[in-house]
Amino acid sequence: MSSRSRPRSGVIIVAIIIAGIAWWQFGPRSPHSWSATDIEVLASLSIDNLPPLPLDPSNAVADNEDAARFGQQLFFDQRLSANGQVSCATCHVPEKRFTDGLEKGRGIGLSGRNTPSIVGTAYSPWLYWDGRRDSQWAQALSPLEDPAEHGGNRMAYVRFISKDDAYRGRYEALFGPLPDLSDAARFPANASPLADSAAQDAWAAMAEADRHLVNSVFANIGKVIAAYERRLQPGPSRFDEYVRALTTGNTEAADDILSNEEILGLQLFIDEARCTECHNGPLFTNNEFHNTGMLSFPGDLPDRGRIEGVRKVQEDPFNCFGEFSNDPNRNCPELTYVRTGIELVGATRTPSLRNLGGTAPYAHKGQQQNLADVIDQYNRSPLAMIGHNEAENPLGLSRRELRWLEAFLGALDAPLATPEEWLTAPEN
Amino acid sequence: MEPEMVSIPRLIVILLLASLSANAAGQEQSWLSRSGYYRISFESDLKPLVINQIHSWTFHVETQDGEPVVGATISATGGMPLHNHGLPTDPKMTEDLGDGDYRFEGFRFHMNGDWELSVTVDLNGRRDTVVIPLTI
Repeated sequence: MSSRSRPRSGVIIVAIIIAGIAWWQFGPRSPHSWSATDIEVLASLSIDNLPPLPLDPSNAVADNEDAARFGQQLFFDQRLSANGQVSCATCHVPEKRFTDGLEKGRGIGLSGRNTPSIVGTAYSPWLYWDGRRDSQWAQALSPLEDPAEHGGNRMAYVRFISKDDAYRGRYEALFGPLPDLSDAARFPANASPLADSAAQDAWAAMAEADRHLVNSVFANIGKVIAAYERRLQPGPSRFDEYVRALTTGNTEAADDILSNEEILGLQLFIDEARCTECHNGPLFTNNEFHNTGMLSFPGDLPDRGRIEGVRKVQEDPFNCFGEFSNDPNRNCPELTYVRTGIELVGATRTPSLRNLGGTAPYAHKGQQQNLADVIDQYNRSPLAMIGHNEAENPLGLSRRELRWLEAFLGALDAPLATPEEWLTAPEN
Repeated sequence: MEPEMVSIPRLIVILLLASLSANAAGQEQSWLSRSGYYRISFESDLKPLVINQIHSWTFHVETQDGEPVVGATISATGGMPLHNHGLPTDPKMTEDLGDGDYRFEGFRFHMNGDWELSVTVDLNGRRDTVVIPLTI
């Protein structure tokens, strides 16, 4: 008996293994069936539902093409730095989706955080990982004076625009005459409230009215750079094509657009993995701040995140309430009703998930080397080093499911909607 | 005959759906405060209530007998109990519109799911709170 049953049981085991492998390979079948609610959720993520670009009344030249051309020149101009070697594009590299592929940005020195992309940020009420600026133009000013980034000072930048004939012409066509800076007693070579101590002393010694003149020109530099950055918008991806096919009832065509793994990843994304709780809307971000327990590099102090960002944006002289806003009504709902509180300790801004391909490493310190690491973070859900990890329940997904999620994120990569001419340094 | 027979259950479904969507943006439903001093309803300027848009509400406050409560001070906090976090903004009462109506600005919800809003009404020291559940 036993000698006859042994080979039979062997055959059964082999058959089970083969069936198992077959199920693993081909088990989850397409076409995938979505519920009506699922399709609603998918449509809410589609780029076809991206609202028109919100107006920026704080920036009078936000939608002025001449300003955008001028801003494009400044964006790529390395002369806007203390050593003549750093431009905005040094860290925001167009070929890398306007990021730099580094853990932390590197200008003149090493910056404190990972370089976020600029694409689509015109939709965000808050800029930076901690939201310490509330408009693209106010944000654009900050790196110019950061000693680790462009390392310059506002007085020197204003003088630079004033001395360069082409820039002076472009500036004055948009904003009217530049102030006369010839009196060195009134306008020193270097001055800023934020740069090195010599520049700070020089700034403090300037007359209030002169400081205002310099600040106004400096703000306008930010505004033309923002007019350029506003045009950097994501384009439709395979995910968007898929949703378009689904919502037009073209289910079979839909399943040719995404792979089986990507579709299964998408199902997890909107469902079990709970990604859409924060990565929602057509840009896959709620533009809000969350502590998700992203750990620091060993030896690094944890980042205090939004709790500091709130304070900084409220104090920023270039914020929506400030005197350099062009909105006569100072209509600033986000800043008016901004919230602080203990839960913002260690919270950072939800990044968009469009175009993550080729932009590793990820997270606010670049501490996640690849997308698999990021997804695994939510699967493990570690305790936050400071504050409280909001995503405190580990997802408990299998390794195969984690791969599906990663595959889906790849379906969000697409060329920008912005015409090519805006994606390189302009010819002068 | 036949179309009429079919249309009655359909009508019920339509009415049910209509009442649900009205509730999601306020309007019809009202909530009694804990100690029973006030009956509170709200209407959102944003209809339907969707995530990630800052917008305004109007609260309407009455006594249990249906008399409008005028001249009160209202505050609101809220959050998602399941996520252990609050509202992303700090909405504030900006105007007493009279007749028991109060304008509230600065609401924004940043996640779909179950929210709870805790609304406190204070009229001459008579404070009472109501918790309004909200699914977005």
